Amino acid sequence: MNKSRRIPAIIGAIPIVLILAAWQGLAMSGRVSESQLPSLYAVALRFLEQMASPAFLADAGVTLFRLFVGFFIALVLGIGLGLAAARSRFGAAVIVPLVRVLGPLPKVALYPAFILLLGFDHASKVALVVADATFPILLATLHGASTVEPKLVWSALAAGTPRSRIVTSIVLPAAMPSILTGCRIGLVISCVVVFLAEMITSTDGLGHQLVIASRSFITVDMFVALIAISLLGLVLNFLLGRARKFFLRGFPEES
Amino acid sequence: MRPLLRAPGMSALLVCAALLAVWEIAARLYGNPGLPTAFAALCELPRIFADPQAAFDILDSLRRMVIGFALALVVAAPIGLLMGRSPVAEALMNPLLMVVYPIPKAALMPLIMLWLGVGDASKILVVFLGVSLPLLYHSYQGARAVEEKMLWSAAAMGMNGAQRMFRIVLPAALPEILTGCRTGIVMGLITMITSEMISRQTGAGNILFNAMDMAQYETVYAMIIVIGALGILLDVCFEAVRARLTKWADKDADTTVAAL
Repeated sequence: MNKSRRIPAIIGAIPIVLILAAWQGLAMSGRVSESQLPSLYAVALRFLEQMASPAFLADAGVTLFRLFVGFFIALVLGIGLGLAAARSRFGAAVIVPLVRVLGPLPKVALYPAFILLLGFDHASKVALVVADATFPILLATLHGASTVEPKLVWSALAAGTPRSRIVTSIVLPAAMPSILTGCRIGLVISCVVVFLAEMITSTDGLGHQLVIASRSFITVDMFVALIAISLLGLVLNFLLGRARKFFLRGFPEES
Repeated sequence: MRPLLRAPGMSALLVCAALLAVWEIAARLYGNPGLPTAFAALCELPRIFADPQAAFDILDSLRRMVIGFALALVVAAPIGLLMGRSPVAEALMNPLLMVVYPIPKAALMPLIMLWLGVGDASKILVVFLGVSLPLLYHSYQGARAVEEKMLWSAAAMGMNGAQRMFRIVLPAALPEILTGCRTGIVMGLITMITSEMISRQTGAGNILFNAMDMAQYETVYAMIIVIGALGILLDVCFEAVRARLTKWADKDADTTVAAL
């Protein structure tokens, strides 16, 4: 801890500034065309312009909507199944092998099936988000809930807590740090996946913006769409980090 | 019956069988051309494997993924280890990683195509980017958790910095690095499929999405089975390698979990 404190945090800006400078330098050197690498300034200007454009914001809104619907379904499924697997032998026997088989499967490959079954609209994209975001949340819940100290459960039982309430009042809070970590991973994954799904087939959303820009070789707009989705991920990640601090006040801080 | 159920991989096979059965029943009830029966999709498999072009495509995908993965291992793992041990490297790289983390790597494909063309180089680069981050992150965490006492003892015994890195930090961080590799495999598969979907020349993703466009739904589902099987197979193989390499650590891990 002491060691890291001596190093000013500001040096973390060095690589970022270097990369941005290299980008701007390359764009200004005239060795690459505007359609290959637009200048940093042009991208920033276009980004601000798009931020004020209702059409662009509407696309961002559609993306956000799909993201949140998918993420919340994944949240409920992941925590529910994770708790079921941790607390009951039957649940574990069914869910653990299922996770082992379906976990490593690249979910993007399922997307054509989702389109065929659910159509081109919101449902197929939400389904892909659910398929991708559920597993990290489920695994984190399972891990958190199965490492809850049995003594806590015994004490609660001894203190007269009814069995039906053990999960909600002991296991769930004790597993909270792990669950929230899983949520963070799941949220960023949702962000990435919703964008990919919109790139594959869509008529709206940020991913669609990227595809349109790429088809008409407007490189500036490609950058803007990518920056928008990355910023979205960054902001959501930050907010969840804050929420985590709030929920976990009183917990001994783990790294 | 019991010992048979306990056989390794048995539960996974049972789950696969159950999934196929559920699919078959759903397809029969649903009766939609968009959902062919599991049997019809399975019947499509021999045709795909017999077609030399398709077999070549799938191998081509794998080749690109392996190259991208190997590059990521060579580049990202050392950076991660360095970050874990050197506060300067940590302070330098952490903010950059935080910014890069939420960028959808597979979505960079259209942009990278502008620079490197539609061929192998772009696809390998996208796989490399996708695999690098989890690898880097886990190597970093692994190196950070190395016990200081071991490093002090090594230094007292006269090991220099590079030796300590190779003989102490690398083995101690190995279990965590391998966890990163496992996540990396999944990421590699995702980026592989997506890159081939965007720039369709060869590859498993190419077959999948072309079949989708031509409404050959049996082929679509057969390819999903192939890709899924590939993911599961790679995961199982990797798990076997990991268990061998970190036999010593697993016992430790178990006792720490039990002690918690």
